Formats: sequence, C-alpha cells, structure tokens
Amino acid sequence: MTALTLEGLSKTFQRAGTVVDSITLRIENGEFFTLLGPSGCGKSTILRIIAGFEEPSGGRVLFDHRDVTREAPNRRGVGLVFQNYALFPHLSVARNIAFGLEVRGLSTAEIDRRVSGALDQVQLPTAGGARVDQLSGGQQQRVALARALVIRPELLLLDEPLSNLDAKLREETRAMLRALHAATPVTTVYVTHDQAEAMAMSNRIAVLNAGKVQQVGTPEDIYERPANRFVADFIGRNNIVNGVVRRLGQGTATLQLPDGAELTVEANRRAPGLELREGGHVGVCLRAESLKIVSGMGLFKGVLTDVEYNGAARSCVVQTGFGKLRVEVPGSAARLSNGEAVQLAVSEDAVHLVEG
Amino acid sequence: MKRLVLVLLALVLWGYVVGPMFATFQQSISGEGGALREYVRFFDFHKGAQGEAMIGSLLISFASVITSGIVGVFLAVLLNRWDFPLKKFCRVMVLVPIALPPLMGVEAFVLLYGVGGTFPQVLAQLFHAPPNTFALTGMPGVLLVHTLTMYPYFYLTAAALLAQSDDSLEEAAYSLGASKTQTWTRILLPMLTPAVVSGALLTFMSSMASYTAPLLFGVDQVMTTQIVNAKTNGDLRFASVVSVMLAMISIFFLVLIRIWEQRAIYRTQSKGGARRRHRITSPFAKAVVFVVALLSTIFLMLPIAMIFVLAFSVNGSWRTAPLPSRYTTHNFVALFSDPRSWEPIRNSIEMSAIAVIGTVLLGVACAYVLARMRFRGKAAVDIAMMLPWALPGTVVAINLITAFANASVFSFGKVLIGTFAMVPLAYFVRFSPLVFRSTAASLAQIDPALEEAARSLGGSWFYSFRRVVLPLLSRGIAAGALLAFVNGAGEFVATVLIYTPRYRPLSIAINDELYLANYGTAASFGVVQVLLVVAAIFVSDHMQEKDTSPQFEIRNSKLS
Ligand SMILES: Nc1ncnc2c1ncn2[C@@H]1O[C@H](COP(=O)(O)OP(=O)(O)O)[C@@H](O)[C@H]1O
Ligand SMILES: [Mg+2]
Repeated sequence: MTALTLEGLSKTFQRAGTVVDSITLRIENGEFFTLLGPSGCGKSTILRIIAGFEEPSGGRVLFDHRDVTREAPNRRGVGLVFQNYALFPHLSVARNIAFGLEVRGLSTAEIDRRVSGALDQVQLPTAGGARVDQLSGGQQQRVALARALVIRPELLLLDEPLSNLDAKLREETRAMLRALHAATPVTTVYVTHDQAEAMAMSNRIAVLNAGKVQQVGTPEDIYERPANRFVADFIGRNNIVNGVVRRLGQGTATLQLPDGAELTVEANRRAPGLELREGGHVGVCLRAESLKIVSGMGLFKGVLTDVEYNGAARSCVVQTGFGKLRVEVPGSAARLSNGEAVQLAVSEDAVHLVEG
Repeated sequence: MKRLVLVLLALVLWGYVVGPMFATFQQSISGEGGALREYVRFFDFHKGAQGEAMIGSLLISFASVITSGIVGVFLAVLLNRWDFPLKKFCRVMVLVPIALPPLMGVEAFVLLYGVGGTFPQVLAQLFHAPPNTFALTGMPGVLLVHTLTMYPYFYLTAAALLAQSDDSLEEAAYSLGASKTQTWTRILLPMLTPAVVSGALLTFMSSMASYTAPLLFGVDQVMTTQIVNAKTNGDLRFASVVSVMLAMISIFFLVLIRIWEQRAIYRTQSKGGARRRHRITSPFAKAVVFVVALLSTIFLMLPIAMIFVLAFSVNGSWRTAPLPSRYTTHNFVALFSDPRSWEPIRNSIEMSAIAVIGTVLLGVACAYVLARMRFRGKAAVDIAMMLPWALPGTVVAINLITAFANASVFSFGKVLIGTFAMVPLAYFVRFSPLVFRSTAASLAQIDPALEEAARSLGGSWFYSFRRVVLPLLSRGIAAGALLAFVNGAGEFVATVLIYTPRYRPLSIAINDELYLANYGTAASFGVVQVLLVVAAIFVSDHMQEKDTSPQFEIRNSKLS
C-alpha cells in the first residue's frame, strides 16, 4: 500500500482554462480521502491525472517516493471506479472482474480463486455468470468495485461512484464501502460533490473550488471550523450573516449583527488566519441546528414561512428583517405553523466566524 | 371495423406475397418425372452441371461478408476514433455508395475496373502491358462491387457503436493493467461484435440476392442468373426450383435477422462524464490517418463520380482512351425534350406512384395491426410482411409470374402476365416493407394512451385512428413512401423479367442504352436516379424518427 503525494499539480485545458490550480496534497497510507467540491471544480481531472489519463501541465504525482507523473496508466496499478461503472458489456460479470488478472497473466486457478473471493467481498457470490446488463445499477456498481479491488491496487480511486444510485442503495453502498475499507485499508481517493457522503465516509476531506484547495481536514474540522465563506456555505446548513466587530475583549469579540442584535463570542471561534479588528466586517456562521426557536428574549425576530417535517427534525425558514434564516429544531418540538411570529436564540458556542 | 382490416390484410398478404411463393413451389414440383426431378438437377454438383450455381452463390456471399466486413469495420474505426482535418466530410462521403442507382451503379464499376475500363487502361499503359491485363472480370469483379456497396451494413452499426461507447471502458481496461494491444483485442474489437453479426447477415442475404453485378461481370454460376437464364429458356419449372431454394435461404436469413434484432444490443450507460478524448499527438500518425481516410473516401466515391462524368460525355465518344474524349450538356437537355428519353422516366414515375399507393395502404395497416392488436398468428403476419424485403427481386418476379399466369380472384379474373399491371404489382410487393418498417418505427413512439384518451373522450376507433394516430404517423409514412417511390422508379432486377415493351421503364431504357454503348444517355438517367435517392434520404432523414436501425436504412436502397 501506498501514500499518495500531489505536488503543485496544475492542469490547463485549451478551452476550459486552468481547472486544477497548483494543488498540493498528501494522502496517507490506508487513508480514505475525499475530494469534495461543486461540479466542474476539477475533481475528476485530478483523479484522471492520478490514474494517468491526463498529463498535468505542472507538478508531480508520487506513489510513496516513486514519481509516476509520466507513467502509463496500465503500469500504475491503480483501481479505478467510474461514475458510469464502465463495465465491459460483452463480458460476463466474472470475466469483467478477471480482466485485470488475465492481463497480468495469472494462472486460471488463481484467477478463479480471486474472482470468487472478490464476488464474495461485494456480496454478489452468485452473480459471476450473469451478463452485465442483467444486473441492477447497484449490483453493477459493486461489480465495478470488485473489478478495481481484485487487482490489489496500490491506490483505489472512485469518481462519484454513488451518483447514479437511488437514496436507499446509496446508503447501503456507503456502508459496504466503509466495511471494505475497514477490512482492507487500501489508500482511497474518493470524489464527490455531496457533502453528506464525504462526511460519512472519509478520514479526511479536501474541499475544492475552481481548481483550488479551500480546506483540508477531518470531517469535524470542516463542519465545525470552515476555513472560509465558501466552505462554510458548501458544508452543512449554514446561515451566514454579515456582522461588524464592535469590541474585542479578553479572548472574546462582540459582534454587531443586523437588526441591532449584539452577540459576544469567543474570539478563537474563527477561521484560521482571519484577523479580527474593531470595526472590521466578518461573516457570522450560524448553523441551522444551533439556532433555537424561543418564545421571548431571542436574538432575532421573524416570521415562520416554511416548515418541513422529516421525523427526526423540523426544518424551518424564518423571515427576518435582513433575510431568511434556516433553523432546525428536533422533530419532537412543539408543532409550528406558518405565519407564526417567532424569536430565535443562538447557542454561542456554535458560532463560527469567517471573512466578511 | 378492426376485424375487417385484419381479414383484408390477411387476404392481401396471402394473395400477393405468400400465395405466389406457394405457386412457385407448386410449379417446382409439378410436371413429368416426379416432384423432385428438377431438384435433383439443381443439386447436381458435377462439373458444368446446375449445382455450380448454388456453390457459386454461397462462395461469393461468404467472400463478400469477409471483404465488406473488413472494409466496413476498418472505415468505422478510422473515421470515428480520431480527429483529423476533413473528418466530417469523409464521414458523409463514405456513405455515398448508398446513393448508387441499381443498374448504372454497377455499370460504373465495370467502366472503371472491368474490361476496357479506365483503370485497366491506365495501368496497362503505365506498365506497357497488353490491354486488359489488369481488368477485373467474373467473380473478382462481383466481389469488388459487393464489397464497395455492402460495407455500409457493417460501417453504420460499427460507427454507431463506436460513437456511443464512451472512453471510460478503454480507460478502465488501461487502469486494470491492459496494454494498448490488449485493450484493442479484448475490449474495443469484441464490442463491435453486434455490428459484425448484423452486417454479416445482411451482406450474406444481399449477396445471395445480387443479380446485376453477376450479370454485368459475366458470371453465370450464381442462383439469380440461373433463374433468369432458365426463365429466358422457357424452363419455368427449373426457374421455380431455384427460386424456391433461394427463397428458403433468404427466409432463413430473415428469421436470423429478426431474432438478432430483438436481442439486446450492448449499450454502455453514458450518464455523466462521458467524454471523447482521442487526440492524436504525433504529427506523423495524424498525417497517416488523414491520408488514408482521404484516399479511401476518394476511392469509394469513384463510381458515383464516374456516373457524373459520363453523363456529360458525348454518346459514342469513348473508344480506347481511359475516359470519353468529348463532353456536352446535351444529354440532360435530351432527357426532358427527347420523347425517347422522357417516356421511360414518365413510365417509371407512373408505375412507381401507383405502387406507392398500395404500399402505403398495406404498410400502414400492417404496422398498426401488429403494434396495437392482439391476435394469434402475429409472428406469421410479421414474417409475411417482411418476406419481400428478404426475397431477391428475381424471386419476387418469378413468384408473380407463376401466380398470375392464370386468372384468379387476386387478379380480378384477368391474366396479368404481359400487361402493364405486373410492374406496379411487383413494386408494390417489393417495397411495402419499406413503408411498413418506417411506419412501425413511428408508431412505436406513440403512446397507446393517446388513443385511449381519444376513445374515452367519445371518439370511435376509426375516428381516433384518423384524428390522432394518423397525423402523428404522417412523417414516418411519408418517409417510407418516398423511399418506396425512389426504389420503384429505379428498380431493375424484377422489372427485367416482367416489363412489357409498350411501357418501357427507366431501368430497362438504361439497359438498352448501355447495350448500344450510349454511356452519355445512360449515365444522365443515372444522375437523375442518384439525385432522387439523395433527395429521398435527405428528406426522410429529416422526417423520420431516429429509431429505425441503420442497417435497415441502408438496405432500403439496394443495388441487387
Ligand atoms: N479533456 C478535457 N478537455 C477540455 N476541458 C476539460 C476536459 N476535461 C475536463 N475539462 C473541463 O474542466 C473542468 C473541470 O472538469 P472536471 O474535472 O470533470 O470537474 P468535476 O469532476 O469536478 O465536475 C470543466 O469545466 C470541464 O469542462
Ligand atoms: Mg466529475
């Protein structure tokens, strides 16, 4: 198994311009690492550079200490799972999985053994003889995974592997991926635009935007301590309210919020590198679940305009004088109805500051 | 009303398609010497005996499958994988052979590559060899014509498969460790299997049916010429025997094709991320691909170009040079001003137009009935309807000759042989499947719920059909009718056996002019046919829903 290093990786296309912009990342041996970002931000391109299908315009790709930047894709020993699975339509399930072993010239007995092992691993022990188009989307997905894993890759790359599955299958496959990774912790780079998926799977996440890394960290880091407005907005259900720093105290900051509200928070609840100075503008992140609906003494006043009940929680939209705020309250809370005048309280330890 | 349509349909199919086939069978086993006497003759494989024809047909068909397959797949890969200058142009132009008209198209090959043709003359001069050292005659000539006119059966499906296959398959193979060669031999080429199988079936069937190419290259030992020769010698019984055998082979292939069509074709899911990225980076490779593509394209276009050149040549101005020596536009003027030229055109237009009315009625009724009604014997109706599509024109003609030698209900109590009616009847039978298929394709797009809605709103069945279904089908019907018309206007193979000199059709007029070496006049007729076919393909391309299979589109205009 292998640690992966990307050093100052860049890629410029003639028409699309620079889609990967000096990316430096180190992905540890056995780590489950996710590239997360909106569609078009260059995730697939990075993956394709790692796999060897695109040559970077600048920078290097290292597997451990081996520089593979110019190495042909079929010599890299990378397992790749495509968004559309890319199963060979003219081969049976078993022959699909056997493909990578056959080109390595393994003995038939060894191939059979490993193929059936791989089928067991992805919980399709009897599907070997089936034609690819006889399988459901979820099963095809698992065959693609088995095909990538059976070659015992140095590195497993997955490009939005769940995006063509329905919600329930997605959860199941997520669980299977986690279990597989726990059993054989192969270094994995996982690409997705879905933050929930990223949080659920990863040891660490790199959030990307427009070809640049915005933040690298554990799911908790990224969720609780977003490095900038983009990450705060992209992850979780954040309300970002514009505020002005009124006073700086002993490790605290008092913020002037719209509508005349004032809020004092610990000054270290801020994005790394963000400087606070009196009179400066900041973005105040208020996560939906850190806002509470109270009957009086709230920080903000507003009117309830929409409620969505999903069992565990109620997601509410509150129209305030400075815009809409999203609020999430437990499903067991009292029933709320549209048009109700409400007040919102903020638990101060859930506030996070980003640039203004 | 529905019942009535069904009964009428069965009657028509029986009377003009299946019945005549049985009449031929009847004819083949009746007469002196026992039922099998002529069959024994047919299967006599001694040297110089009749059995050679079947062997010849089978051999030429196998060979055609192989050569057309190689050319078709090669071109599909060449023109669909890499980017090079003029790629779009080449991709359009390699399909031009589809527009080759029936008789003149084959003659163009003879004039290019046959005895006294352009290339043999040029090569003989170049190498100071005796004339015709390099001329193609006999089987090789037929093989060349088949190859260069039937490769589209392979090309179109292979190109479609390559176009829809997305690069991730290839990348998957590479990332699993396969080399370039392994990716080609294990993934890319095997994926073309569906194209190869359907192309092979169609090519084999068309080669068995081919008549004009053997005729013009002087090959007697194939079944189609065997039929015509027997008929010309007045041996109608033996002609029937060969027709029956040829029909059985064709039906066998028709059934294979229908089964194959119903199989699921490999489809790669192309949701998201499917991009095509083949860029050739080496300038040398790029130049090679470009030159090969351009040369192939030019080579394939030569016959059509030849027709256009000849159309402007003065009749009789071609003696011993590679090309005619004098040129004029007179041939085209004569086409419309000289009654001798205009009359065959008018005759063909009339006869084909009459036939088209029939093809539309039968084709639409049959498509509708098969798509919307449940009844026993559906498969039989389907096969009966597609039968004339598979049958060689020669066989269709023999069937009609044997069936309508005597007065019957279906000929309204008249003997049809030797009358004007035979030719439109043959066109009607041969080209109804075109309207049928094109209508069926449109019909498959129409949700049955539309009709149900119309009926639930109070419309009668016929009213719903007329006001809802028919308008939605009109484009498919028109496309099919147009193809039927164009094919009828140029038909040669069946026509030559049944026309009456009083109503000389276009293809026969071309044949006569070629006999007189009036290449200018013959080719100007040919140009008219080419333009008609191109117009028809163009129009139907714009009218038709895009779900008829490409092989079918191609076989719509066949040279045989
Ligand atoms: N081979 C290519 N040629 C030109 N542009 C490309 C190519 N591959 C990707 N791009 C462009 O690069 C950008 C990023 O693409 P991609 O990496 O697929 O994004 P993501 O996977 O994050 O959605 C897009 O604008 C895309 O159009
Ligand atoms: Mg992508």
